[in-house]
Amino acid sequence: MIARQPRFPAVFCLPGHHRFAESSLVKRLLLPLTPLLILLQLPAAAAEPPDFVRDIRPILSDACFNCHGPDAEARQADLRLDQRQAAISSKVLSNGEMLRRLQSDDPELVMPPPQSIRPLNTEQRQQLSTWLQSGAEWPKDDRHWSFIPPLRPAVPQLPQSSTVRNEIDAFVQQRLQQQNLQPSPQADRATLLRRLSFDLTGLPPTVAELDAFLQDQSESAWAAAVDRLMSSPRYGEHMALGWLEAARYADTDGYQNDRLRYMWVWRDWVINAFNDNMPFDQFLIQQLAGDLLPERNFMTQVATGFQRNHRINSEGGSIPDEWIVEYVADRVETTGTIFLGLTFNCARCHDHKYDPFSQQDYYQLFAFFNNIAEAGLGPNDGNSPPFIPVPDSWPNLSPAQLAFVEPEPPKVTLQQTSVPRPQPGSPKTVMVMHEQAEQRPTYLLSRGRYDAPDTSHQLLPATPQLLSEWRPEWPANRLGLAKWLVSPDHPLTARVTVNRIWQHFFGQGLVRTADNFGSQGEYPSHPELLDWLATEFIRLNWDVRALQKLIVSSGTYQQSSQHTSAADPDNRLLSRGPRRRLSPYAIRDTALYVSGLLQEDIGGPSVRPYMPPGIWRSISNATYKQDSGAALYRRSMYTYWRRTVPPPTMMTFNAAAREVCVVQTAETTTPLQALTLLNNQTFVEASRLLAERMLKQGGSDTEQLTWAFRSITSRTPTAAELRILLQDLQECREEFAQNPHAASQLLAVGECKADPDLPPQAVAAAALAASTILNLDESITRN
Amino acid sequence: MNPEHIRLQTRRKAVLQAGSAGLGVPALATLLRAEQERNPLGGLTALPHIPPRVSRVIWLFQSGGPAQMDLFDYKPELQHRFGEEVPESIYPAERKTTMTSGQTSFPCAPSSLKFSQQGQSGIWMSEAMPHLARHADRLCVIRSMYTEAINHDPAATLFQTGSVIPGRPSMGAWISYGLGTENADLPAFVAMTSNGSAKTGQPLYDRLWGAGFLPGRYQGVRFRGQGDPILDLSDPAGVTRIQRRRMLDSVNRLNRMQSATVKAPEIETRIAQYELAFRMQMSVPDLMDLSEETKETLEAYGPNAQKPGNYAFNCLLARRLAERGVRFIQLYHRGWDAHNNTPVQIRSQCSDTDQPTAALLHDLQQRGMLDDTLVIWGGEFGRTIYCQGKLTSKVYGRDHHPNCFSYWMAGGGIQPGLTYGATDDYSVNVVENPVHVHDLQATVLHQLGIDHERLTFRSQGRDFRLTDVSGRVVSEILDQSSAATA
Repeated sequence: MIARQPRFPAVFCLPGHHRFAESSLVKRLLLPLTPLLILLQLPAAAAEPPDFVRDIRPILSDACFNCHGPDAEARQADLRLDQRQAAISSKVLSNGEMLRRLQSDDPELVMPPPQSIRPLNTEQRQQLSTWLQSGAEWPKDDRHWSFIPPLRPAVPQLPQSSTVRNEIDAFVQQRLQQQNLQPSPQADRATLLRRLSFDLTGLPPTVAELDAFLQDQSESAWAAAVDRLMSSPRYGEHMALGWLEAARYADTDGYQNDRLRYMWVWRDWVINAFNDNMPFDQFLIQQLAGDLLPERNFMTQVATGFQRNHRINSEGGSIPDEWIVEYVADRVETTGTIFLGLTFNCARCHDHKYDPFSQQDYYQLFAFFNNIAEAGLGPNDGNSPPFIPVPDSWPNLSPAQLAFVEPEPPKVTLQQTSVPRPQPGSPKTVMVMHEQAEQRPTYLLSRGRYDAPDTSHQLLPATPQLLSEWRPEWPANRLGLAKWLVSPDHPLTARVTVNRIWQHFFGQGLVRTADNFGSQGEYPSHPELLDWLATEFIRLNWDVRALQKLIVSSGTYQQSSQHTSAADPDNRLLSRGPRRRLSPYAIRDTALYVSGLLQEDIGGPSVRPYMPPGIWRSISNATYKQDSGAALYRRSMYTYWRRTVPPPTMMTFNAAAREVCVVQTAETTTPLQALTLLNNQTFVEASRLLAERMLKQGGSDTEQLTWAFRSITSRTPTAAELRILLQDLQECREEFAQNPHAASQLLAVGECKADPDLPPQAVAAAALAASTILNLDESITRN
Repeated sequence: MNPEHIRLQTRRKAVLQAGSAGLGVPALATLLRAEQERNPLGGLTALPHIPPRVSRVIWLFQSGGPAQMDLFDYKPELQHRFGEEVPESIYPAERKTTMTSGQTSFPCAPSSLKFSQQGQSGIWMSEAMPHLARHADRLCVIRSMYTEAINHDPAATLFQTGSVIPGRPSMGAWISYGLGTENADLPAFVAMTSNGSAKTGQPLYDRLWGAGFLPGRYQGVRFRGQGDPILDLSDPAGVTRIQRRRMLDSVNRLNRMQSATVKAPEIETRIAQYELAFRMQMSVPDLMDLSEETKETLEAYGPNAQKPGNYAFNCLLARRLAERGVRFIQLYHRGWDAHNNTPVQIRSQCSDTDQPTAALLHDLQQRGMLDDTLVIWGGEFGRTIYCQGKLTSKVYGRDHHPNCFSYWMAGGGIQPGLTYGATDDYSVNVVENPVHVHDLQATVLHQLGIDHERLTFRSQGRDFRLTDVSGRVVSEILDQSSAATA
């Protein structure tokens, strides 16, 4: 089905139901508050008969499955519309019953019922009717598209051109041609280098790097820039960030008193894995099962910290059994979201309402993660067992230190008279996965409750048959699970992963619901491209960097991001380059970098930069002890992450909260962001240090401003822009000359001492100019 | 400026700024489409579902779990059972926390506080809240609240987000998502925290006022008791307002030039948000300036009314926020977790909060605002009748207790002077008219004109709502007009 010739529907049915329609075209076609339909094509094609998998089932899933779907307990009238055989046998499709109920005005008859919160709009009702009237074709192989292994599609044959550079472009442009749309021209070279630098390292190009790239007109200039950026250690740091958010990495336990933990060694492992370009299948296997590998060692053990990053409760009075269930459930949810793009947690309390997974399927997956030698409550500060000691010489380990380490089992004692706590791991340990000797039995938990197990039937680890076969040679443990996930015929792992990598570069995935490839997820904008990339990724032996090179060398990636036509409002057809606001981490890092403050050490324990007064104390019993000196200026990925009080600047710019697995975050624009960039100590200090650099750079005001502007935005300012900045600079200089006290006040912001050899009024005035530039929309955007 | 004038002005402003949608708008066109259609206040056009009875909510959250039997749930007969074992038939072992489940004895600890009936309505209250007692006829006391969560974090998270599992939006976030803001210069949802004189208590978490999977702009803005009330509100030292204005003008001009070149709609949004930030820099200091308050008002709130970060200050600020059209005002007061020496701790907590709470009710009433404001008081759970630790006639401790606890509500659409629900002789189990956390949430939404089953947001393919899969509007505590729409 996926490999068939592409046909383009009039509409794609998306999972949201009441959504905002902007264009007049959309408004004309849709009633207000009707389910979301995004037009991806001209209305002329609407006459095409509906395709079951692409058009019909999403409607059934959204509007009908709740009462006529997989969940046996919620099922009404003994009717299933999620299974071909059951639906056909019921005869409602063929005997006119369903059609009558769809078209009825009688509130007693009409489906969905009038009070349903999942109504159908006219268009959907029409589509279902058309489908029923045309014989209700329901293909024999009616598996949801993402459950069918990707077949490598033929690459459309398009003539090579400046915009058709590789296979990606062939798929994208074929689609554009069918819509009578043109790709956008290539972006200018400065914009391209900025885009690439931010995407690969999270930092802008320097003025020198820009100049060198602009002068190098050779064919190989782009490839050289890609190689330079990918071989920088900043690459691993930047790539690790998305993984840290998805893996809910943090420095505290996350509940109640939010006790301290020490997982930064795992974070270092992730950075190194990216910098070593570890193949993704290895990356997955080591993190899920590094403790079970035949060739296991200290490093593969550290990797398993991935599934110990979940929150741990240490609140006195908690019931240990209850919390072990929560930890295991978190691992299932994270594995489901990050590797499978499925919402398995929905099946914790009942059969899944939309996807064909039973509650038993859920607890069979649960069983893979349910045998860890762990305690229900955490210690009062410190790592929770199992953990292993980290040598002082980390990350430089001798062969002896690289050997596998047997963690000591949890030793639970009653503390504070009644709280059962395990031994704490010191700051020189890291949490890992480790099986306990005695098997902890897994049962289906009624309504997901820890105290309601169905002990009549013990469940063993197993994966849903529907997705991919289990090979008998695989062990029935996490290692087997990892091998199942990376087997080449698995329908999801490669698709979900390339989609997330695509999202990194384009801001949205080919499947926009990166966290849901199930029947309530969005249909891919370019199904064949997704499948081609997934199969290519496997063919490349899961080489992440090779896949990324393919993406950044495409003409599609290098298009200008200017809005040229209203035909593709959300850029779902990729008719232009991706324009995106920078991540919260990149915003702060850039300010530190351009001002010369950034301290570029890789890894190590988290640091405590400037925070608002009483940041922890005001709502908890912990006190934030701010660092001093170099630690104030490390990259933002190293900022101490207290889960219950995450760093406000990061949260203001929409960082993930690190409580549960999150693979996509929504960007918003708020006045709090303006206040941060204008007034926050970090950004004010960066402005004045950037001002010092401007003055030391020398030359005229115009030259200094041009240099600062280019450092921040990667673009040379226009004469009109310079006039504005110059005039402000001169006025500020006069004002500070008249009020030297104000200048010295401004120069006292932040710990870094002002350079005594520079005139304070000049630095203060330049600082406000630098701050003006740092506050531009363009400065926190890569076009 | 009188409050009515402020209200009118802010409403007008909000309407004039149609499209700027309160505290921020989504950066991406895609995100716009990912949400429902919005009205000029930034709320959903589908709302209100029913005629709203109140314009705003003030929730005085008492963090830690106040002991119901020492405050509202009067059990005179228990005086005769002092020290007797609480029967296991009443209090089963599996509902005890591990802090006390290992105790060999569960002796009954009747309240050592004196109770009396208050007002015309004769609501029973203990001596610990003498100021509130004078407003008894304005209160509706619910004695039959219950929850499933037995520990602070899950219980507080359930109250604020409808689920013990983190990642869901808080109640205020749902409300600002649904209804938008009446004052474009202030957030629709404000959270404030305070400590009692004990200076300690159970911690709070940003997720309690977080946006969960809703867009980040709906999260509660925390007003801080130290430094700037809103983070980074003040200009840096040495920068004048004139310089700041000039700088903003230049930022806007430069952004407009860029917008003309790249034609990205997000830039216009950012320009609007910079203007809003500038207005907030004026509106917030105005909000915090108590100089226009009369001496009588300040005295009514007690000696701490002018101390930022104090409960009394937060109560006064709550009224000022309410006047300015802030929709959901959430106070958190810590220190109610009285495991040891409950009587002393209760008295101390009440002496910190009783007078300001009463003053807030009175203040709203005399300004004619109580009728369209819903005031809620209560914590995340109750406390055990059995003693934790050593029992004497004066000293007893109480562990967490989810099966019953007391709340009160006052104001818009709530029947005043009503006592609703009842517990058994031991104040252990609800025996009449149980009210679950989700029921309370459904009721609060209802008063704001929201059908709790219809305010949904899709995340990971599922439509989520505040009340998860349950919740019932407790129409029995509503006045006739409110109950009619329930």
